[in-house]
Amino acid sequence: MPVSFFLVLSALLFSIGIYGVLARQHAVLVLLSIELMLNAVNINLVAFSAMLQEAGLGGQVFALFVIAVAAAEVGVGLAIVILIYRNRQSVDLDELDLMKW
Amino acid sequence: MDLAQAIAQPSVDWHALSPDIVLAAAACMVLIADLFLPEESKWLAMPLSAAGILGTLAAVVSLAGEHRTTLGGAVEIDTFALVFKGLFCVIGLIVLAMSFGYFRSGRYYQGEYYFLMLCSLLGGVVISSARELVTLFIALELISIPAIIMTALRKADVKSNEAALKFFLFSVLSTAVMLYGMSLVYGITGSTKLDEIRSSIASSADEPLVVLSVIFVVIGFAFKISAVPFHFWAPDTYEGAPSPVAAFLSTASKIGGFVGLLVLMFRAFPEVADTWRPAFAVLATLTMTVGNLIALRQQHIIRLLAYSGIAQSGYVLVTLALIDPSRPEANAQALESAIVYLVIYGIMDLGAFAAAVAFARKTGTYFLSDYAGLWRRSPVLATLMAGFLLSLAGTPPMAGAWAKLFVFAAAINSEVYWLAAVMGVNAVIAAWYYLAVVKRMFLDSPEVDEPIEVPYLLRATMGVAAFALLAVFIYPAFITSLADRSLL
Amino acid sequence: MSAETWQQVVFWIFALLITGAGVLVVTTRNVIHAALWLVGALMGAAAMYVLLFAEFVAWVQVLVYVGAIVVLMLFGLMLTRAPIGSAEFDNNQRPLAALCAAAVFVVTSVILIGAFEGQEINFARTAGTSTESIGTAIFSSYVWPFEVVSILLLAALVGAVVIARRD
Repeated sequence: MPVSFFLVLSALLFSIGIYGVLARQHAVLVLLSIELMLNAVNINLVAFSAMLQEAGLGGQVFALFVIAVAAAEVGVGLAIVILIYRNRQSVDLDELDLMKW
Repeated sequence: MDLAQAIAQPSVDWHALSPDIVLAAAACMVLIADLFLPEESKWLAMPLSAAGILGTLAAVVSLAGEHRTTLGGAVEIDTFALVFKGLFCVIGLIVLAMSFGYFRSGRYYQGEYYFLMLCSLLGGVVISSARELVTLFIALELISIPAIIMTALRKADVKSNEAALKFFLFSVLSTAVMLYGMSLVYGITGSTKLDEIRSSIASSADEPLVVLSVIFVVIGFAFKISAVPFHFWAPDTYEGAPSPVAAFLSTASKIGGFVGLLVLMFRAFPEVADTWRPAFAVLATLTMTVGNLIALRQQHIIRLLAYSGIAQSGYVLVTLALIDPSRPEANAQALESAIVYLVIYGIMDLGAFAAAVAFARKTGTYFLSDYAGLWRRSPVLATLMAGFLLSLAGTPPMAGAWAKLFVFAAAINSEVYWLAAVMGVNAVIAAWYYLAVVKRMFLDSPEVDEPIEVPYLLRATMGVAAFALLAVFIYPAFITSLADRSLL
Repeated sequence: MSAETWQQVVFWIFALLITGAGVLVVTTRNVIHAALWLVGALMGAAAMYVLLFAEFVAWVQVLVYVGAIVVLMLFGLMLTRAPIGSAEFDNNQRPLAALCAAAVFVVTSVILIGAFEGQEINFARTAGTSTESIGTAIFSSYVWPFEVVSILLLAALVGAVVIARRD
């Protein structure tokens, strides 16, 4: 099976994530879109790992590290969302307008 | 292998890892000590952290002149690594001095703050010697994630919350984009070790794919170092964050991103430099020009420093547009000037932030209009602030002048005259807004005459920093000789 | 049918699942639904990992990503008592966003297809990568990032508690 099947799938998922980041204005929805992008990264890594066969263990290990970091990021992100909601009753990015450049 | 043999000939070079291990241990110690300290003596976490950083600095010094690799090449100790490990320690000490009064009087989770700061600093210390993609990525995240939390520590302040959310989303997004690029690099080369990437990317690679992957990686880093057009988060985040944290973001976090970028570009991708060099020239031009033009109309000292910091990033990006492995001498000069710039930038930018923090502690304001006549209210503070601003502007008698001159000379030497010209024009624009603040402090008359007392610790720290900048101006060989030996 | 054909069939089924769920994550007007569609996309990705002989990564994906991260998201949403459905979750730059995403997709996939033309994943291989070999890799070549990521997780844990707790 050509490796490009997986790579194009990953590129598609990454692009869907980019659309979500640009089009959404709810912080959690943006975060969900970024998770899609991180999964695109992992599909790439695992596909390359399979393509390289025995030499390709690094790709799978890299994917595990990406998952670990994603977990840490989501934990911190949701803590911030909860904090903001407690203070402001909204997590709409366009209402975050106390600071304009 | 029996135990005695394992102890006699360890497979891991512990000495090479000692700075990182000492700092990690110090961070954990601070966290545990905080558990047992009563509320009124939580501030003891600060001297404890300072001791930990000094211990790290001692470990760095003990490695001076060494060249070692360990853990299968994932960690490489050379002068480049040691210079930046040392710089991160110095930045950590200065930020501690700035944070002490701020967090003690504000009661913002002091113990946890110092723990998080040490963790973030550890990310910088780790990235300095990381020569492998996974380690680079994890170290970058270790810089950012604690920094995001530190930004949110003024929990009741809505601006601080929003600053943290903005910083968080941009940081996670930049990580995702950078990782996508890294995954492609892995696919092209089949390795995560930078040296292996370097040798296989030149031979086996298909050009558009190499360009695409490097562009994704660079966009990811461009967010971290707040290069235009990926800079939007920086001024808002700095303004909303507790001001010592803003100083940390503007120096440690940004320099961490630059260290990663320098290592990648000079070590992993130089053989294909022809394909991506123009992108850096464009990025550098945009970053310098836009940063300076927006800085011109800022009325808030933190935002002024944020935009001027963006412009300063642009000068460092110039050096990345000069990478050319076919001309080793010019290439080495580009790297040296980047190192000199980052070291001097770290000290002078922190100094300016420290002066702003000292001013705000007494007056409670960050607006530039309130700096009028500072000379009459506090000659010491006005002189120190002026020193740091002159250094940022790149005027004698401060070290910032050499920093700019070295980058300029590197550009001339590489025969990229138009970039040198852009840099020169920008230095003039920048001098305008820095000198406007200096003029305001010395020539305008104050609205209130109340004198400003600067806390002893802050005054001593700023004094040492200003003295160091002055000394480097008079005797630049001190720092250039280090940079000379820091080839990647 | 040959094994190869079966693998193609499995690939297309899960590729459709991932894409469909992904599109719904970024278009649905309900936050909870978006999180649940993300579960679909993540499970589809886990199936892809199994297809690619990465069973361990697939299990970590299911346990950590689906089991922990998405549950955390759902908890977070419930705790905030935020409105979970609204048409205003999208801003007014949707056409521009779609254009950007399409451009990224076209450029990236054209380059990728060109660059990896003829590179096959050999499914005939008998042994996949064993979990043992992954463990060995993590604790030999990748032990340094492994240690550093433990500090990162500790910092994130402490930080999340500090930020989210009530004073």
